[in-house]
Amino acid sequence: MDYHFIFMHLFNGLILGSIYILLSLGLTVILGTLGVVNFAHGALYMLGAYAAYSVVKLFGLHFVVAIVICPVIVGVIGILLEKFLISKLYKLPHYYNLLLTFGIMFFIQDAIKIIYGPQGVPFNIPRFLGGSVDLGFMLLPKYRLFIILLTGFLSLGVWLFIDKTKLGAIIRAGTDDSEMADALGTNISRTFTLVFGLGAALSGLAGVIAAPVQDVGPQMGMNFLTGAFVVVIVGGMGSIGGSILSGLIIGELITLGIIFWGPVSTTLIYVFMAIVLIIRPRGLMGRAAFFE
Amino acid sequence: MTNKGLKISVVLIGILFWLGPAKAADTVRVGVITVLSGGQANNGIVDLRCAQMAAKDYGTVLGKKVEVIERDHAYNAGIANEKAKELYEKENVDVIVACPNSGAALAVAEQALIHKKPFLASSAGTSDLFGKRCNRYVIKWGYNDYMLATTVGLWGAENLGKRWYTITSDYAWGHDLLKLFTAALAKKGGMHVGNDMVALDTADYSPYILNAIKAKPDVLVLLNVGPDAVNATKAAIEYGLKKQCKIIHALLYEQMIQGPGVEIFSDDYVAGPWNWKVGYPGAKEFSDKFLKAYGERPNYSAAGTYSAVWQYLEAVKRAGTTNPEAVIKALEGHTFSDMFANPGYIRPEEHVEVQKAYLFKVKRPEAVKEKDDYFDIVGSLSVEEAYGPPGLFGCKMKGF
Amino acid sequence: MILAALFLLLLPFITSFKALASQMLIFAIIAIGYDIVFGYTGLLSLGHAAFFGIGAYGTGLSLIHLSVPALLAILIGIIISLLVAFPIGYLAIRRRGIYFAMTTMAFAQMIYFIAFKWRALTGGDDGLHGVPRPHWGPIDLSSELTLYYFILFFFIVSVIVGVRIVNSPFGKALECLRENEDRARSIGFSPARLKILSFVISAFFAALAGGLYALLQNFVPLFTLSLDISGDIVLMILIGGKGTLYGPIMAAMALVFLKNLLSSSTNIWPLFLGLLFVISVMTFRQGIFKELKERLLKV
Repeated sequence: MDYHFIFMHLFNGLILGSIYILLSLGLTVILGTLGVVNFAHGALYMLGAYAAYSVVKLFGLHFVVAIVICPVIVGVIGILLEKFLISKLYKLPHYYNLLLTFGIMFFIQDAIKIIYGPQGVPFNIPRFLGGSVDLGFMLLPKYRLFIILLTGFLSLGVWLFIDKTKLGAIIRAGTDDSEMADALGTNISRTFTLVFGLGAALSGLAGVIAAPVQDVGPQMGMNFLTGAFVVVIVGGMGSIGGSILSGLIIGELITLGIIFWGPVSTTLIYVFMAIVLIIRPRGLMGRAAFFE
Repeated sequence: MTNKGLKISVVLIGILFWLGPAKAADTVRVGVITVLSGGQANNGIVDLRCAQMAAKDYGTVLGKKVEVIERDHAYNAGIANEKAKELYEKENVDVIVACPNSGAALAVAEQALIHKKPFLASSAGTSDLFGKRCNRYVIKWGYNDYMLATTVGLWGAENLGKRWYTITSDYAWGHDLLKLFTAALAKKGGMHVGNDMVALDTADYSPYILNAIKAKPDVLVLLNVGPDAVNATKAAIEYGLKKQCKIIHALLYEQMIQGPGVEIFSDDYVAGPWNWKVGYPGAKEFSDKFLKAYGERPNYSAAGTYSAVWQYLEAVKRAGTTNPEAVIKALEGHTFSDMFANPGYIRPEEHVEVQKAYLFKVKRPEAVKEKDDYFDIVGSLSVEEAYGPPGLFGCKMKGF
Repeated sequence: MILAALFLLLLPFITSFKALASQMLIFAIIAIGYDIVFGYTGLLSLGHAAFFGIGAYGTGLSLIHLSVPALLAILIGIIISLLVAFPIGYLAIRRRGIYFAMTTMAFAQMIYFIAFKWRALTGGDDGLHGVPRPHWGPIDLSSELTLYYFILFFFIVSVIVGVRIVNSPFGKALECLRENEDRARSIGFSPARLKILSFVISAFFAALAGGLYALLQNFVPLFTLSLDISGDIVLMILIGGKGTLYGPIMAAMALVFLKNLLSSSTNIWPLFLGLLFVISVMTFRQGIFKELKERLLKV
């Protein structure tokens, strides 16, 4: 048993976990507060990456600018989607919005294909983050370290926001009981729009960050989407802490799967998801009676 | 049936009648099945354009015009099956060419046998097309998995190193290639130090690269294509593996490089039957003409499609008819020279078109002088070495 | 009624190629079953492609390895599919709403990957090639036209069975369950039993369609198990109008036809389908007529 080798892998697995965390943060917030299963989440992630490409390659701006602007762009798109499409279906059974976001996902993907071409676009690691860092036990690309650190910061930030700020309290109230929150005077529909925008922005940010290490193509969101759903369900819908925890777990699980059981690792995700759904749908840190 | 249902069905019938069966025309009809939507569309369209160019360049055969009818199979075997039926039956095509995606090509090959019309498989690689799924209506044109794997395997083991690590796309094509690669490697005394099976469309190849680093290979072989190849190569660069060993790709051509950029692939190796600088008469002119018309150069798979269409029409001329059996007979055992193969030969035992195979190395960015000029030719293999002896794949010809 | 009969009899001659007509009917059969589970019972399953695909593979494998007559092969495909549907349904219905949907999707994806990996059995992503079309008694099924009428027979049977089911007390119980589960329970129905039954019945239709599909294509692509097919099935019911039975049937036929037409004429047809999806969800919801009525009344 080569412990050094396994440890190397586990540390590397943090990167995968980070991307899952970023993706699922947005997803869990939307799911927890609005009750919308946002299938378009992967497409928003992809939009973030393409926005980064456009900003950096087409307009020649710095990568840091992209990290700031692109999530905003995707957030705005999210807000528009919510205002004009998704909010109309709140009163209907949940599967309407699920199906709507399903259709939106296909639409966005194909629109991008038409605009940018189907083969994907080049996006390399920005020079100032290139090279590797010698961590002693392994050589880790600087950029990947950046991903881990940034995700850590963001997770903390989102958690603090939801848990400690007034706006966060409103969101939590809306999650618990939107009608009551509405009756008490908060503009719940505006809150919902904001939440969706926030979730979309987080997803877009994940896309920007992942762009240099992934192949930026119209399908990039699809691959991560189901994993993100598993993370959200395992962590508990609506729970930030749950998302972070399960993002790490799932990331490491997949990595371990790769070391020991090879290609079965993809199937593992679904098995895990099915088990959690059947035995404990609320996940690790979610609240009971949510959809049971 | 309610009133609404009635009205809708009347409208439907009307529409269907209007859009109904196509009328037969007095032309030679070439069907092209390729991928025109989805992630591989930018490759697929090159296939189509080459077929169209071949038809146009050839002009007329037996006094008839040549018509090209295309169908999009979205890189999906099920859809390809349906489109093949549609082309053979509704559109009454005389031949089908191209069809990327090995699973799709196998489906179309079956339809060719059922409808008793030829299929020149110029865009998919699987050796099953001239192996256990061969039939007399199908001819494998251009590159194939055996040729790719063996060319790189034999040449690479001699010139690049003996310790090989493979990363394989976990589907039919990948498995086929892995089997063939390791066989070629063993012939030259190479050592296969490890393999990773990776699901299609995997974004993060870092774990597999880490595995590879541990194994200390001389050569990293990437048995994947498209986005997977790009991600794998990027990861190899990031984790420093590319500095330690050489990289060989199973499949790599211009359209794959255009997206990510040539720096990612510089100094990588790949095999192929053709490149526009290979020196065959007509090759450069053909590529320049395509470049002028479409702004990019065709890859060897598409060039193979051009050649397939051209040789089909030549065979029709020789046979004096478009009757499928006669045309097939005119192609079997035939040797020819065109911009793609010089010479090319169609083995009657297993219906595979064979020609000399080349080793390419990807240029560094500063060496790229013109559009899509990504490769240097660094070696070649004879037909016998690259394609093996006839009958290697156990083809039991059925058909007529 | 006569118009419909005439239409169906002449369909293979109207459509551009006969296999297309057969395919339209096959998907219509799936739609009947799916409307029962989604339209009438209110259970959104995102994994129905699994039953379609298992039916197809089961039939295909029986035909290749066991050399049984076509009907028996289809029956085997159906049985295997039902054997899978039962446990999935049993486990999935323990949760409601979205959890149910996600569970079905998870299982369907698992089945997809198992089929993908198990190349020795299914041919992996190459698909299962060489499915023969044996004679059915004296009838030779290798002609596309004959096969169409063979499939038409099953389609008619499916329609009759489907109509019988939804008009029966069982069907009414399903609708009651869809509207208000607690009230249904208080009347004395067992929601779990009804749900499982409904789920398995819908799997039956999907599997039957799958078996016919294997015959039609002489080949079973892995694609039959994919999420795309599940999505298409849902779309058919949505556009057609869920809970009407004839709506999904016609929508299924129209969608298959449209897909074929669009993909032959344009390269961006997935975009149109995505748009169609979004529009149908937004407009074909139950609330729209109520809203219109209320708006008109207000003014």
